[in-house]
Amino acid sequence: MQWFDALIQGILLGGMYAQYALGMALMFGVMRIVNISHGDLVILLSLIGISMASAWGIGPITVMVALVPLAVLMGWVLQKAVLNRVVGSDPLPSLIATFGLSLALQNLMLQIWSANSRSLPGGGIESRSIEIGGIYIGLLPVIVLVVATGLTWGLDLMLKRTRFGRALRAAAADVEAAAMTGINPRQVYAVATAIAVGILGFAAVFQALRSTVAPADGGAQLIYAFEAVIIGGMGSVWGAFAGSMVLGIAQAIGFRIDPGFGVLAGHIVFLIVLATRPQGLFGKA
Amino acid sequence: MSAVLSTHGLVARYGDFQALYGVDAEVAAGEAVALIGANGAGKSTFLRAIMGLLPVASEMVRLNGAPVGGTAPERMVAQGVAIVPEGRRLFTGMSVEDNLRVAMDQAARVGAKGGWTLERLHQLFPILKEKARIPVQSLSGGQQQMVAIGRALLCQPKVLLCDEISLGLAPKVIREIYAALPEIRAQGTAIVVVEQDVGLAKSATDRLYCMLEGRVTLTGRSAEITREQIGEAYFGAGHAVV
Amino acid sequence: MTDTSLSPAAVLPEVTVHRQTLSGRIALTLAALAVAGLALMPWWASTGTIRMVLELCCYLAVAQMWNLLAGYAGLVSVGQQAFMGASGYALFVMAQTFGIDPFLAIPISLLVPAILAIPCYALLHRLDGPYFSIGTWVVAEVFRLVASNMGWLNAGAGMSLTVMKQYSAFERNIAMSFLCAIMVLLTVGGSYWFLRSRYGLALIAMRDNPVAAASQGVNVARLRFLVYVAAAVGCGLAGAVYFMAQLRINPPSAFDPRWSNVAIFIVMVGGIGAIEGVLIGTLIYFIAERWFGAYGASYFVVLGILTLLVALYARTGIWGMISKRWDAPWFPIRRRLVDTNR
Repeated sequence: MQWFDALIQGILLGGMYAQYALGMALMFGVMRIVNISHGDLVILLSLIGISMASAWGIGPITVMVALVPLAVLMGWVLQKAVLNRVVGSDPLPSLIATFGLSLALQNLMLQIWSANSRSLPGGGIESRSIEIGGIYIGLLPVIVLVVATGLTWGLDLMLKRTRFGRALRAAAADVEAAAMTGINPRQVYAVATAIAVGILGFAAVFQALRSTVAPADGGAQLIYAFEAVIIGGMGSVWGAFAGSMVLGIAQAIGFRIDPGFGVLAGHIVFLIVLATRPQGLFGKA
Repeated sequence: MSAVLSTHGLVARYGDFQALYGVDAEVAAGEAVALIGANGAGKSTFLRAIMGLLPVASEMVRLNGAPVGGTAPERMVAQGVAIVPEGRRLFTGMSVEDNLRVAMDQAARVGAKGGWTLERLHQLFPILKEKARIPVQSLSGGQQQMVAIGRALLCQPKVLLCDEISLGLAPKVIREIYAALPEIRAQGTAIVVVEQDVGLAKSATDRLYCMLEGRVTLTGRSAEITREQIGEAYFGAGHAVV
Repeated sequence: MTDTSLSPAAVLPEVTVHRQTLSGRIALTLAALAVAGLALMPWWASTGTIRMVLELCCYLAVAQMWNLLAGYAGLVSVGQQAFMGASGYALFVMAQTFGIDPFLAIPISLLVPAILAIPCYALLHRLDGPYFSIGTWVVAEVFRLVASNMGWLNAGAGMSLTVMKQYSAFERNIAMSFLCAIMVLLTVGGSYWFLRSRYGLALIAMRDNPVAAASQGVNVARLRFLVYVAAAVGCGLAGAVYFMAQLRINPPSAFDPRWSNVAIFIVMVGGIGAIEGVLIGTLIYFIAERWFGAYGASYFVVLGILTLLVALYARTGIWGMISKRWDAPWFPIRRRLVDTNR
């Protein structure tokens, strides 16, 4: 029973990680770029959300409505001002640029919000839970998982069915051929990054509701997103979703064994997958 | 007949290596011209330079008289120049239909009109209808070439550039593909084909240009140019004497 | 026609291969003096200065290792602190737990990063481009978490190097100064020697174009692996020296990502793919740290933005801009053919 409970909690935790991982999978898929400031952007958005909530006395849903468009805008600006200049076959420039951005963002947040941990008051939603057969399931984690599933489904549908999705897949397959078919790659990239960071707007609210956030937490979120993408297998958004579940379960079970072992258990599963199935659990070889 | 696309002293280089030394060429609406020459003569570079994939000065390429040299490829496509690139360059992992739809999407976005539809394309290459849902990478070489041509046509081009569309294909398939050219021309589309097979180039086009080491060494009406003239232009004067 | 005019030797001008330049000779002399100065620190510097110089030399060493990885082998690591902490802990365990002489323990402790680097690379090289970088970070996190959970490393509380009390302060200063000089000699001097060797030629070919280098017979995979292990050992040496001087080690300090942050700043701002760049970058970092270090977070904001700007607008850093204008390398690596008849 205890292990079944850990499994459930792990899946719920995976819902949170999926919200970080989707954007990373999308950006890497189309541009071969990893944005090192990915996690810092989540934290920045969370802190902005917390400040908005306390300044204007607004609830989490209103915060989300304000934060997601802001996140989309941030992604757009990030691509136009930074990433479009460093996208290319050499991974170094994009890594260094986003690394510098990460360092600057982290310390900027430290200046503005101090090193303290904060959280977003959810008006009681964060502590409500449902009991099913002796297992208590938090309402908020269920909402997080449902939203994560919805985002994954929506993103997958967009990639498969829409004009933009086809353009994005074409640019991911062969960017020069895409341009020779009339696609403006930089435009596609800007929208892709806007979507990737926009998803972080949802993640930011849920992260701040579920637990606390502090300026130095971004690195951990980046690592979880990365592990989820690699475990799941690159190349599909459902792969990233499934990888998030595996990572969440590994951490939850590890945590049951020993509280100091939770995060480490996730890393170990990641390393095992890398050693035995480098294309990911659900990826094609 | 006025040229729809023309180059004027087109010069292009890859870094320190100069690949084109002042090429003048033109093609009129509904006309088909061939570009022949040995490997490394600069034929593909010529097409890439027109498409804006290499930095060139704006006056060096003119479309309906307007300078367009160095314009980004996606804007060249929007202005009516499409290319069937060397090696086909299809979007791997996507179905035949999605590959074609990418071009249709972009043509719709910029409001390009040219009369090419999926249905007309299916009449031209019936196999593409049959294979619509198949991932492009599992098609045969000839079928892939048809997708590449179809993709370019759905960009609704006024000028269609074809880079070695017969390369590596069986003679029967080559005939099938070249048989489509008259219908494309009938639309008023100008065609530039880069072709290794001189006989094929002569029979399928109105005029031809022969290139050698980045320069045009011979030009004229395809039907009137003799094998000897081509041999001389193809390999340079030194070889022709022998 | 005579025979000689047909032979290629007579057609080609007589040449000799020149590898050293005037600027190189001056720089080499200055570098030798600087290393000697480091070794003799106890006789001219205070204990405080020695500590400061030692820390700076550790940054220099780690930055040069990062330069080898990212600037030549194309391996962008953000987790070299893994190997610093590993050898640091190895030193403490050997000296403190097993009573091995601490100075003897330093060279032995370098075996730990060397051995750990092998499985790490075996796993990480499967990751594509930018994912490799995040992978190195995960490895550093794994090391930190393992150290935090291990009883015989005293878990989260860390360890102290009390055995050093057997030496007087002056003796310790002498030892640390010598270690510092050796570390700089091995990491920076060693890199220079390596880059001038035939491996260096292959490495430079690989930096310029890995595919072309491979087609010319350079075993790119093996060379990358060798550089990764060498960089792990170099960072391990810096870690051992640094934590010996600190006399204390705990998981957050042993595996502090700050080392990567600073190394990347130094190399990118100074100039990637050149030893001169690392020296310039270290100097800039040193001055910035002294003048602005007290500003804490805002100082790191500026460091981060500078790194970002260099990546966007000046990829070759300060040394890249200098060497474009003046061709006077301090550590010449190129081979020049000079016509002896002229």
